Amino acid sequence: MTTISGYGDSPHPRAGQPVPRQAGDWAVEVHGLTKRFGTRAAVDNVDLLVPRGSAFGYLGPNGAGKTTLIRVLLGLARADSGTMSLLGVPVPAQRGRALARVGAIVDEPRFHGHLTGRENLKVLAAARGGDAGKQIGPALDRTRLTQRADDKVSAYSMGMRQRLGLAACLLADPQLLILDEPMNGLDPAGMHEMRDMLRSLTDEGRTVMLSSHLLDEVERTCDAVAIVDHGKVIRQGPIGELTEGAGVAVEVQCPDPPAAARALGQPAIASRVALTEDGLTVTLNAGSAREQTADINRRLVGAGISVYGLRQTHARLEDWFLSVTSRFGGEQ
Amino acid sequence: MTQHSLAAGRRTPWLPPVPLIGAKLLELRKRRTLMAVTVAFTVGLPVIFYGIRLLYHLGNPARYAPAGAPNAFATAGTLMAEFGFIAATALGATAGTADLTDGMFRHLVITGRSRLALYLARIPAGLSILLSLAAAGFAVACLVTAFLGSPELASAVTVSPGDMIRSGLWLELDLVIGFTVGLGLGSLMGQRTVPVILLIVLEILITPALADHVLPYFLNGERLVVGVAMDQLKPAALAGGTTVGPGGGPRGLHIPPMPTWAMITVIVGWIIGWSAIGAWKMTTRDA
Repeated sequence: MTTISGYGDSPHPRAGQPVPRQAGDWAVEVHGLTKRFGTRAAVDNVDLLVPRGSAFGYLGPNGAGKTTLIRVLLGLARADSGTMSLLGVPVPAQRGRALARVGAIVDEPRFHGHLTGRENLKVLAAARGGDAGKQIGPALDRTRLTQRADDKVSAYSMGMRQRLGLAACLLADPQLLILDEPMNGLDPAGMHEMRDMLRSLTDEGRTVMLSSHLLDEVERTCDAVAIVDHGKVIRQGPIGELTEGAGVAVEVQCPDPPAAARALGQPAIASRVALTEDGLTVTLNAGSAREQTADINRRLVGAGISVYGLRQTHARLEDWFLSVTSRFGGEQ
Repeated sequence: MTQHSLAAGRRTPWLPPVPLIGAKLLELRKRRTLMAVTVAFTVGLPVIFYGIRLLYHLGNPARYAPAGAPNAFATAGTLMAEFGFIAATALGATAGTADLTDGMFRHLVITGRSRLALYLARIPAGLSILLSLAAAGFAVACLVTAFLGSPELASAVTVSPGDMIRSGLWLELDLVIGFTVGLGLGSLMGQRTVPVILLIVLEILITPALADHVLPYFLNGERLVVGVAMDQLKPAALAGGTTVGPGGGPRGLHIPPMPTWAMITVIVGWIIGWSAIGAWKMTTRDA
């Protein structure tokens, strides 16, 4: 039996099914994984469980070790220690078998620029073998690249290369997609399209694990997340549960937000204070939200700052992410 | 989700399947500049050389020998060997590095295909382009020699069909060496410019210098240079009439002949050794 504290016994947020807790029911299972570059641990004793059929976000600030973990998972780099499996198949011991049903984009998707999109997919289909060649047409259709499939990739925009990368993933008819920053370089329409595509893939029962620093996109796309910082996974679980445990935020309307921020910061009254257009967003610490809200009001009035309004909101993933990563950073 | 034939139990054989070789062939032959250089150095060179010889002969038959004279065959063969070797190293180094520099390497590794198979697919793909073009260029030399030679010299010095076959095989072997060494060195270094420069220096400067100067305390070291061994294996028809050593190479004039087994060992050692080094780097490199 494999368990992870972040998931507890809560229901799966999308499918309404219990979270899988049997070994092999996880699309990605990582225990004690460490990857060092010299003395620096880019991935530091990471445990990670990605439920099958979910859209899973792997979140972290730049340099947190997101891409390194993905590279190790896919056999692009070697781990120093730890165990891993993809779709229940151990890697790197049975890497070929594991990757047969895995599609992945790592870093910026780059291809042979002198070949067309279709030719690049032919090269990758030939490497995959089996029926992958027959998936080229459907993959191009699904990623809406059919009309530009016979253009050279050197003429593709970044967004088109992202879609070509996704088409390359689909050649495997994947049960698991691992996407590293798939929204990079996409315009708002492209991001919307990519989001819909990822949703449709999970609706088909596939697992999508995506790494990103775009918290809003992850919140819209994913069911569950893991937060990584300094190479360590510091939290993981369904988004609803994680943000629920993070307390609430209070939106403060006042005439002088910078002065209000200073007043709340000395001594610190909240886990995070962010300036907005017409005020502040204050993410509260654990404890009574009512008392802390009243305390904010007292502190601001005491500092001579008029308060036009105070409104409690649930903390968003971004607020929670920033609070836990900064707190974690402070403990180092 | 549909069922897929790759679902379970897929092994990763190290031998590249034919479609993978075909895909690599596609990737290489679509490189216009590289293909233009390769065609120019393998086919274009003998065509231009014999074309000029033909024009000279037609303009002044008394002064200029027929285009198909034996010495022209030797000169054309030497040109094809030198420039073909450069084309071979460029093609080999490109084949060894293109996936990496274009960012395709990690896509290919993620397919689960054995890295060794990915590497080995480059060899037949590159050689099929190179050797076929070299054969076409050499066929031009053979046809001109056979049909545009000098009738009055026919009884004296001629290039027999056997000489042509030996010369052709030697040229192809020279290009195989250039390609595999370029491939291995390119894979090892992860870039193509430096390997091509190094191999041009080896071919144009170091090999002739070593072949023409006996270093008494380094003779066996000189013999380990593949170009020295190849020169000794060079057929007489390509050697311009100078015959020393089993193959009759002209540069072998100064180097004591090597036993045939030693020449073959050096040549095979270079081909297999550099291929193995490239394969090792390919299988251990972070993608």
